[in-house]
Amino acid sequence: MGKQAGSDDRFSRIRQRRVGMLLLLLDLLIVSVMLCVFIGYAGMSVSDPLIVQIIGAIRLPRVLLAGLVGAGLACAGMAMQAVFRNSMADPFIIGVSSGAAVGAAAIGMIGAGIGIGGILLSFTQPMFAFLGAIITVFAVYKLGTAKGKVHVDTLLLSGVAVAAFLGAMTSFMIFVANKQYDILAHWLLGSLQATNWIEVGITAFPVIIGILIIFYYGRDLNVLLLGEEAAHNLGGNPESLKKTMLAVAAIMTSVAVAFTGIIGFVGLMIPHMMRLVVGPDHRMLAPASVLGGASFLIWADALSRSVMMVPVGVVTALLGGPFFLFLLRRKKLRGDGE
Amino acid sequence: MVKSVFMVAIVVVCLVGGFSGGYLAASMISSQGSNGGAMTFTDDQGRNVTIDGYPERIVSVAPTPTEMLFAVGAGDLVVGVDGYSDYPVATENITKVGDFELNIEQIVTLKPDLILSSDLVPTEDLEMLASNGIPYLVIADETINDVFASIRLVGNVTNHAADATALVSSLKARITAVTNITLAAGVSKPKVYIEYYPYWTFGPGSFGNDLIKLAGGKNVADDQNNEYASVTDEYVVAKNPDIIVYTTGAYMPNNVTEIVSRPGWSLVTAVENSDVYPLDDNLISRYGPRIVDGLEQLAEIVHPELF
Repeated sequence: MGKQAGSDDRFSRIRQRRVGMLLLLLDLLIVSVMLCVFIGYAGMSVSDPLIVQIIGAIRLPRVLLAGLVGAGLACAGMAMQAVFRNSMADPFIIGVSSGAAVGAAAIGMIGAGIGIGGILLSFTQPMFAFLGAIITVFAVYKLGTAKGKVHVDTLLLSGVAVAAFLGAMTSFMIFVANKQYDILAHWLLGSLQATNWIEVGITAFPVIIGILIIFYYGRDLNVLLLGEEAAHNLGGNPESLKKTMLAVAAIMTSVAVAFTGIIGFVGLMIPHMMRLVVGPDHRMLAPASVLGGASFLIWADALSRSVMMVPVGVVTALLGGPFFLFLLRRKKLRGDGE
Repeated sequence: MVKSVFMVAIVVVCLVGGFSGGYLAASMISSQGSNGGAMTFTDDQGRNVTIDGYPERIVSVAPTPTEMLFAVGAGDLVVGVDGYSDYPVATENITKVGDFELNIEQIVTLKPDLILSSDLVPTEDLEMLASNGIPYLVIADETINDVFASIRLVGNVTNHAADATALVSSLKARITAVTNITLAAGVSKPKVYIEYYPYWTFGPGSFGNDLIKLAGGKNVADDQNNEYASVTDEYVVAKNPDIIVYTTGAYMPNNVTEIVSRPGWSLVTAVENSDVYPLDDNLISRYGPRIVDGLEQLAEIVHPELF
């Protein structure tokens, strides 16, 4: 059976192996959730009613939000990489996370002034975060493209400049609101501290819908990678597809940022690793990024809340910063930095 | 394609299933037995908090309430404090429950029946604890009278009301003893600049501003818009303070050599006369009972001729 090497047969075997990898990733996610629910300060003796309470009310929502945010950020990163046809794109690097942070911080400030708080704030904050994110993503897109082509250097520089500007705006708001400084500093670092079930519920809906939309466009994202012209020739409408993808990526990023603050580099690292595992086909890469991103952030957070005792954003940045530089360096050496 | 749809379905089912299951678990736990003697207290954020009888196990997640608890004699009830609570010395041997981020799981395992906090701890952390059946009171003071009210609140909650009243009277007496001297007719009002962090000072509405007034000085930064204001070299040189006070503590990089060598500062009266003094940051940044220690020390700095 192994020796008839017709090319159809070979493709189907590669495909089978990749589907196998996806199933492995799914297993990994399930195991991650189950294991990380039992990792934490309070230990894991399920016979103690107090531990059961801690797991049900404190740890499980945190693990699930980590999974949702990790999945959303990785999937958003993958979509952005396809739209920009550049593997260095990521919600954090492009400045979308910072845009979402400005929106969320603004409503947090205004809300405190006019009495929006509690559950109402839980609903309005993601919306303002989305407003900030969507404006940023399209601004950076416009700044980074010339004549329909994305220029990597321009794109990354635009992202950096826009992110710096938005960071300054957030700092300014913190400065004006002087007293809430500590609380906002917490929030800007990106943390899953004190996640409750309401936040999990509000995050689940848009993230899952966004993921499904990106899955649906998997084939079109493949066509996009071939370039503007090829996409047109194949009968697609790349411009509207790009806009849809950026909007969906912005939605997923902003919900994540609204509740957890800025968690960087997940959208960069995970799609890269997954490309090595399942290849560049977006129909495979999207589910792989979702599963991988969820597992990754669940473990990063378990590390953050049990061993390192620092916000999870610090953990992902410690891992992601060097990874980003490594990719940049490798691109330079290959000379395909466009 | 069919397979990927299938996989999506699995992910969705896992997430939604986990979500609703966990929610059930969380809602089942929140009912706990009461032992009668319910009392309601109003905290500094105007929240009405009901607790079942006097607390026996308290976790304090900020230095100010920690100092108040010990000052009213309720230190033996404290089973956990945050990493910044370092006064009195007895806090050394008490379980630490996190600093930059609180360890919520750890606090729950300590089984406290009350949390005392300041307004600098994220509300969502406290709400998380409240949803696990542990009520919390927030101590947030803006004036010296607020400090007295908070000390009384801490006393009432811990069944140390008499101790709290005695403490407040003695603190008030000490303040009066200082102000009788510093605010007497004919006493000069030197211009004072307090720096709690390089180039950051106390504006109107802050404790620092009040303390300078009570110590018989005039705050050079009383024209600022912020309670906590950042200033420039030019500003300080133009204001020309007679006395400069810098705070010292774990996070305070200030030192006198650096301050006097700043550009233009040699023209400032305080620098010319070497009237640049250190003050323990914790005495004026924690709005607890030791604020009066801060006042006494500041008064001696501002009016050395009177003490």
